Amino acid sequence: MVDVRDNWRILMLVVLCFVAALALFGPLGAGGGETGLADNQTISDPTNLQYGLQLSGGARIRGSLVGQTAENVEFAGTSTQSIESTVASELGVDPIDVTARPGQPGTVELFASSENISQQRFASALNSAGLDVSADDIRNGVTDATRDRATDILQSRVDQTGLSGASVTTVSAATGGEFIIVEAPGEDRESLRELIGSAGRVQVVAGYPDPNNDTAPQMDPILDQGDFANIQGATRTSDGGSVGVTLTEEAAEPFAEKMISAGFTREGLGNCDFDAATDDPSPNEHCLYTVVDGEIVYGAAMGDLADSIDPGQSGDYSGFLANPAFQINTNSYEEAQRLSINLEAGSLPTTLEIESSEFLSPSFAQAFKPLALVTGLLAWLAVSAVVYFWYRDVRVAIPMLATATSEVFLLLGFAAAVGLALDLSHIAGLIAVIGTGLDDLIIMADEILQRKEEVKTGRVFQSRFRKAFWVIGIAAGTTIIAMSPLAVLSLGDLQGFAIITIVGVIIGVAVTRPAYGDVLRKLMLEDVKRK
Amino acid sequence: MGRIDVEKMPYEEYTNRQLLLIPLAVLGVALLVLVGAYFLTGTPVDLGMEFTGGTEIRLDAQGASGDEVRETFSSLDTESIQGVGTGNSYLLSTQETDTSAFEQAASESGYVVQSVESTSASFGSDSQREALIGMVAAFVGMSLLVALAFRSFIPSLAVVASAFSDIVIPVALMNLFGIELGLGAVAALLMIIGYSVDSDILLNNHVLRRHGSFYESTYRAMRTGISMTLTSIAAMVTMFVVATLFGIPLLDSIALILVFGLTADLMNTYLLNVSLLRWYKYEGVK
Repeated sequence: MVDVRDNWRILMLVVLCFVAALALFGPLGAGGGETGLADNQTISDPTNLQYGLQLSGGARIRGSLVGQTAENVEFAGTSTQSIESTVASELGVDPIDVTARPGQPGTVELFASSENISQQRFASALNSAGLDVSADDIRNGVTDATRDRATDILQSRVDQTGLSGASVTTVSAATGGEFIIVEAPGEDRESLRELIGSAGRVQVVAGYPDPNNDTAPQMDPILDQGDFANIQGATRTSDGGSVGVTLTEEAAEPFAEKMISAGFTREGLGNCDFDAATDDPSPNEHCLYTVVDGEIVYGAAMGDLADSIDPGQSGDYSGFLANPAFQINTNSYEEAQRLSINLEAGSLPTTLEIESSEFLSPSFAQAFKPLALVTGLLAWLAVSAVVYFWYRDVRVAIPMLATATSEVFLLLGFAAAVGLALDLSHIAGLIAVIGTGLDDLIIMADEILQRKEEVKTGRVFQSRFRKAFWVIGIAAGTTIIAMSPLAVLSLGDLQGFAIITIVGVIIGVAVTRPAYGDVLRKLMLEDVKRK
Repeated sequence: MGRIDVEKMPYEEYTNRQLLLIPLAVLGVALLVLVGAYFLTGTPVDLGMEFTGGTEIRLDAQGASGDEVRETFSSLDTESIQGVGTGNSYLLSTQETDTSAFEQAASESGYVVQSVESTSASFGSDSQREALIGMVAAFVGMSLLVALAFRSFIPSLAVVASAFSDIVIPVALMNLFGIELGLGAVAALLMIIGYSVDSDILLNNHVLRRHGSFYESTYRAMRTGISMTLTSIAAMVTMFVVATLFGIPLLDSIALILVFGLTADLMNTYLLNVSLLRWYKYEGVK
């Protein structure tokens, strides 16, 4: 008869194994979700386990936002606009690269690295703007608000490319840095890099002859990200691609006036012959340039739009205002697609400097799944052989191995239940857990099955069990303490390893090792009966 | 019950000094290796790509020989090209982080790029600092917990000293075997802390908290402890051999370093720790 009171630990283990099985194979798992991989790219897997980059393939890029921040700034009534424009003109940067945020206290961010503009120079520019700031108040990095915005923009960019399963997360390093991690399963590295590596700031610049200067054209930025009310997406054109946009009412009128006054709809019509790869803007041409992140990618004269803005050179642009549609042109359809995503998602406040990147081809990475499984199994077999060698008694060895196995099973169930994405580091952690787990089981077996005293009752078991558990508890504590720095630090792979090891040790001490104690108790009492 | 016993060590025949001599000499040599490497290269151990910055590209050469692969990349600034696993894969490392030239050269020769990992130098040195902080925090945390558990100086010192030596010896061996210290190696070294204190705590517990003679207690702790460590070594040797054959990254280096550490732990626990405990038990101030 099974006595529930004596064997409740074993029963608990069995129940938990059942729960873990439900999590692994049944409805309790966090769900496979879309992996973003085509069917032929994945090896079918009967479990609910989710796999990380190293076991499923894909690309991951970790970057940090370039910038420096002056903190604890008292604005004392100065408007943010005047601070931004003064600082920008002092440093010779675009006003968009300076952001002042009022608050208690306020901050001023400069989106340039301290290698390009020293903290000293930034501080003196702030002083010219009437702010009391020294170089000590300036740190590298951007504010949380900027990082949140950048994360949202990146997320919306990856969403729009249809990279299902892609994620954008932020982590902070113990040493102070803040990082953004973008991960996309199956995606190749270069396209991910292109997608997130640029600030993606799109401008339309009007270039036309300058009456006072015959060597360089007048270049006026006329349209900016904020001037587009609606983005229709990329289309193919005869010589590349284009993105159809609708201008906002506020932007349409000055745009039309500028086009007429600068001559784009009259003498400059069709007067543009520009190739972004070879040419510089010509001082004699009327071109509308598409500028991405400060680089001219395309230039062309005004086409049919001239009829709508300036019908019959009448200067009556009311027709255009009624339907302010505009095409932003590019050299290729792919470029137009990227441009459209950038317009839709908005531009990053600053560039994302890539700190580390990883790419694993899906077929290569997925081959590790069975190989890692085989490695684990062989390690388990080796351990079984050694354990049998020590004890020469299947009544000790088999429950010991079964307990160690259940520990791994519970851990996998845990991983499936919380949706932890398994990587090679987790597999290493699992094998490490089998190792420490068996160490503890050996301690318990040797302690409880010692032959030197005559034992009569369960009380001897209790005392031996407690003695063994003292050692196990301290050993588990040290392992947890040794691993906990890794679980918090953002050292990539190691975090998963540490988390699995810590959870494994906790499961071991709380559930599986006490259950093995019950098995040993039975064995001990049997031994007594035989003597 | 057929429990296999381990050999009884003839501790009585040796003085504490004699017992201490071996582990301290090994530790001394290991430290010398680290110091020597520090003066030769600027770091006590060869740091991996994750810590120095650079790129590692793993490719399937589709039947091309090692020399052909080297020829393909000869015009580029490569640091090393090594075969991995039993297949036809090669691991190329370089200090560059812009890898497009490498990927292009690989695809022109018909090689399949299996993985590309790159780290910027500045991020690498941040990781280096972070890993060092992690290691020190783990070691200090372990020491405090051990001190709290035993509440006496020499036994705690014995555990901490042998854990220290268990970490230093594998690092020195990594130098000798030319293994780079990457993230996997850091995980393995931290794992050693966890494994190594198991047998040390067991020994201390048997000697200090049990009845019976010093030698009897030591013997019983040894029987359990050696079984534990050898079982773990068996698991790790298997993992190393299999992971190397299959060319699985990370697992092979973790396993090998743990084999080093566990072997060092056998020596440290049963020579260094035992002699310190014996001195404490018979001669030390209590």
